[in-house]
Amino acid sequence: MMRSVLARFGPKVKKSQDESYYTAGQLALIKARFMRKASGVLAGWILASIIMVSFFAPFFSPIDPTIRGANTEYQRGAPQAFYFWDEQGISLRPFTYTYSKDQPKIDFMALAGSGGLAALDALTSSGALSSSAQNKYNIDEQQRRYVQFFVKGWEYSLIDFSIAGLDLDLRWDRHLFGVEQGEIHLMGTDQDGKDVFSRTLHAVWITVSIAVVALIVKLFTSLLVGGISGYFGGRVDAVLMSFTEAVRVIPSIPVYLACAVALSSMDLTAVQRYFAIAVVIGALDFATLGRRLRTHILTERNQDYVLAAQLCGSSSWRIIWRHLIPSFSSYIIVDTLINFPYVILAETSLSFLGLGLTEPVNSLGVLLQKAQDPDIQQNMIWQFFPVLVFVVLIMAFVFVGDALRDAADPHSEKK
Amino acid sequence: MIMNNKSMNSHLLEIRNLGIDFNTDEGLVRAVDGIDLTIRPGEVMGLVGESGSGKSITAKSIMQLLPGNAIIAPQSELRIRHDSQDIDILKLRGRDLRKVRGGLVSMIFQEPMASFAPAIRISDQIVETMQIHLGYSRDKARHVGIELFERVGIVDPARRFDQYVFELSGGMRQRAMIAMALSTKPKLLIADEPTTALDVTIQAQVLDLMRELREEMGMAMLFITHDLGVISKIADNLTVMRQGNIVEAGNADQVLFQPQHHYTQRLLAALPNLNNLPEAPKEKPQPLLSINNLSISYPLGGSSHKQEMFTAVKNISLDLPEGQIIGLVGESGSGKTSLGKALLGAAPISGGSVEYHNTEKKVHFGVNKALKRKRLSKTAQMVFQDPHSSLNPRMTIRDIIAEPLEAMKLTSSREETDRRIIEVAKRCHIEVEHLRRFPHAFSGGQRQRISIARALVCKPKFIVADESVAALDVSIQAEILALLKELRTELGLTILFISHDLSVIANLCDWVCVMKDGSMVEQGTVRQIFLKPEQPYTQTLIASIPLLESPQIQLKPFPEYTAPKVQRQGRSIREDNQKQTIGRKHA
Repeated sequence: MMRSVLARFGPKVKKSQDESYYTAGQLALIKARFMRKASGVLAGWILASIIMVSFFAPFFSPIDPTIRGANTEYQRGAPQAFYFWDEQGISLRPFTYTYSKDQPKIDFMALAGSGGLAALDALTSSGALSSSAQNKYNIDEQQRRYVQFFVKGWEYSLIDFSIAGLDLDLRWDRHLFGVEQGEIHLMGTDQDGKDVFSRTLHAVWITVSIAVVALIVKLFTSLLVGGISGYFGGRVDAVLMSFTEAVRVIPSIPVYLACAVALSSMDLTAVQRYFAIAVVIGALDFATLGRRLRTHILTERNQDYVLAAQLCGSSSWRIIWRHLIPSFSSYIIVDTLINFPYVILAETSLSFLGLGLTEPVNSLGVLLQKAQDPDIQQNMIWQFFPVLVFVVLIMAFVFVGDALRDAADPHSEKK
Repeated sequence: MIMNNKSMNSHLLEIRNLGIDFNTDEGLVRAVDGIDLTIRPGEVMGLVGESGSGKSITAKSIMQLLPGNAIIAPQSELRIRHDSQDIDILKLRGRDLRKVRGGLVSMIFQEPMASFAPAIRISDQIVETMQIHLGYSRDKARHVGIELFERVGIVDPARRFDQYVFELSGGMRQRAMIAMALSTKPKLLIADEPTTALDVTIQAQVLDLMRELREEMGMAMLFITHDLGVISKIADNLTVMRQGNIVEAGNADQVLFQPQHHYTQRLLAALPNLNNLPEAPKEKPQPLLSINNLSISYPLGGSSHKQEMFTAVKNISLDLPEGQIIGLVGESGSGKTSLGKALLGAAPISGGSVEYHNTEKKVHFGVNKALKRKRLSKTAQMVFQDPHSSLNPRMTIRDIIAEPLEAMKLTSSREETDRRIIEVAKRCHIEVEHLRRFPHAFSGGQRQRISIARALVCKPKFIVADESVAALDVSIQAEILALLKELRTELGLTILFISHDLSVIANLCDWVCVMKDGSMVEQGTVRQIFLKPEQPYTQTLIASIPLLESPQIQLKPFPEYTAPKVQRQGRSIREDNQKQTIGRKHA
């Protein structure tokens, strides 16, 4: 076995005999292997661009996604497409058309004239009173509205954080695109007139940042429990692992409920409350990863290099942090990336139960939950846009995580 | 695919122009480069080479056991001729292939533990083989199987036959593996390093057994090994491979005693030579460390108040002379590694103590004597067996070597650290530019140099080298041994060299200690131990060394052998190199 592995990899080293390969660390090797996988690279680019766009969501969204920016003139409005040409000729600058609200035609005279129940019945069953019939828009193809770039719009904070006295709040009012008059709704609007496209962009960032917080907390607790348990073994291991098992059997929903109740008494905004729940989720979710890390360290600490470090006079902490943790840093990165979709799904399911974020807040969970409404499914199918973004985002995470796992797989490297 | 072709010559196995490539991420990699090899019926062909030479790949191609990414070159030919059949192995598929695999040709692997299914009784595995290939009934197969077990020298065969593989000892497992391989009466037996994982005394027994069996059953054998001493005991003809090519082939004696190719000569030069043992100094120097009634016990689990202990080392007292290389020999499980680790404070001492003399600050630890890790680390260091697992793959060579200095804060500045690292790297023949590299850039021998450099950087007086060359090819072994000797001479290091390989000990050490079952059997200078061993155990051990036979032995030409039943004795060196003919090949 060993020999066949050597026969396989022996000459390989000779082939790429350049200094950069020899001085390449583990992460550089993983990167090189990752780059060879086209699907992973493509998914990586998609993922990176989605996250970049969502981080600068206010800049990329033409309309304020909150109720302040709601377009009362264009509720339940369909997506407005870009055009480059129409019957009147070609334009290099893309344009949309002017729209006007269609006045609902209700035959009040007939209703008043007959005054019979039959007429009222006919009116209601005709659907003329339904909200979709009430919000019909006529497009005036004669009046173009040209798209403009870097337009002035509502003011927002491009970057806003304050740490240790440093209070940075970069405010700007330019947006990537807009139209001459009125507003452009790339993906239409919802029943309040809020722009679906802008909401989705903002929602992605909130969801991703919550997932990041949950994962960081989870990683920290997992590393702490798994690292100590694995390195010291014996009685420490037994105690910590039974504690882990005890935490594992607590069902998560009641914990979330308790958290929601406890946090509701505090004076927090919806997003802050959700961040707090994310921290709790992360802190309680260390069982799986922690156990895996423990197993990993248990095998790894029997490697000769750990004994070598002990004989060199290294302290236990030095060995754990300098020798053991780096030995599976790639594994941790991969595991975290693969866990990302699950955390996002957790956020979605919590929102569904009404424990997570709720309507006025923009998060993918909220938007997804909204898309379950039959009204939307029948009359406002454009509100499925966040679902599409969600699917692409999760797929990108899965593909990147998958490619990374292949690249970091210890079996594919020379041993 | 199967045709009658009596006009062809009498080769049982004929390999012509065999080329094997591996499809890797880096493109095609040639593992075997157009080799020719023939084996006649009843011939034992030795295939020798170092790791990566392509010898195992060649053997696996005969069984079609190559991994999925292997590509056999189109012009390759691989034929087996038997009973007027001419079988083109490379074209065999499905049922026809299985008839050859395990029927006409069977194989013994290096690690017997891994070659048996662990959860199925050995009997069931052997019986199944015979049922499939020979069509025996279950009862008949059992009967034949137990007979075979008896034949391969397993005591109490009827009981052993129905055991699981983990219930047998290492030697017994390899015997069972041989019994299984022979159960289908193969015409060709491929043995891939069959004795490498075994202790030297068991290795001698298994070699004897294989020699007898092949004379009795008249089958041909392809015997693959890296050990020229082993191959000299059994092969008629020899093929030496290097990097996928055959560098030398011919009659075994011709290749072993008149090697033409410089590579074969180099391999032979690395073999032990008991005529040329180093002279130990007349007077034993002052001891560097004293071991006083040392015992080592490991907990075997069980509850905390009823702890069961396994005693690995029992009550050993020993003085290690300063500035000498002391060899510690024993078979697996003899406690030699535990003893070595205990001297570095890395094994649980249950009795006695270890005392280092002549150190800056007193180093003395044992039962009731706490270990001062930093003092000990500055005095004694270790070089490990496996050059792959002993270096942290995530650290550069510089960081690895710097670890003792940084962990113990022995240097005051980074410049000083770098100065010490460069100094020690030069001493261990590591190029300074390579310090930026990671371990994956280095071969086994180079890694072992790095390991030695790490051990030396804090200027210890004593080094424990635990099987430090066991994982290396012979030619690289020689380099590392030369380095150790050089360090001993130039730095006055005391080295405890632990090894199961007596030939390495003979090459390197001044003093030898022999251990068995946790006790010290015998100690003395190299000459005393190798030439005039006193204890019966040491005598058996020394006699089991697979040494190259001298060319004076009369050899009958191959292939007539008239099943001679010569009393086989281990080669004895006790009578000061008086050669004895032992049953080498045709005795």
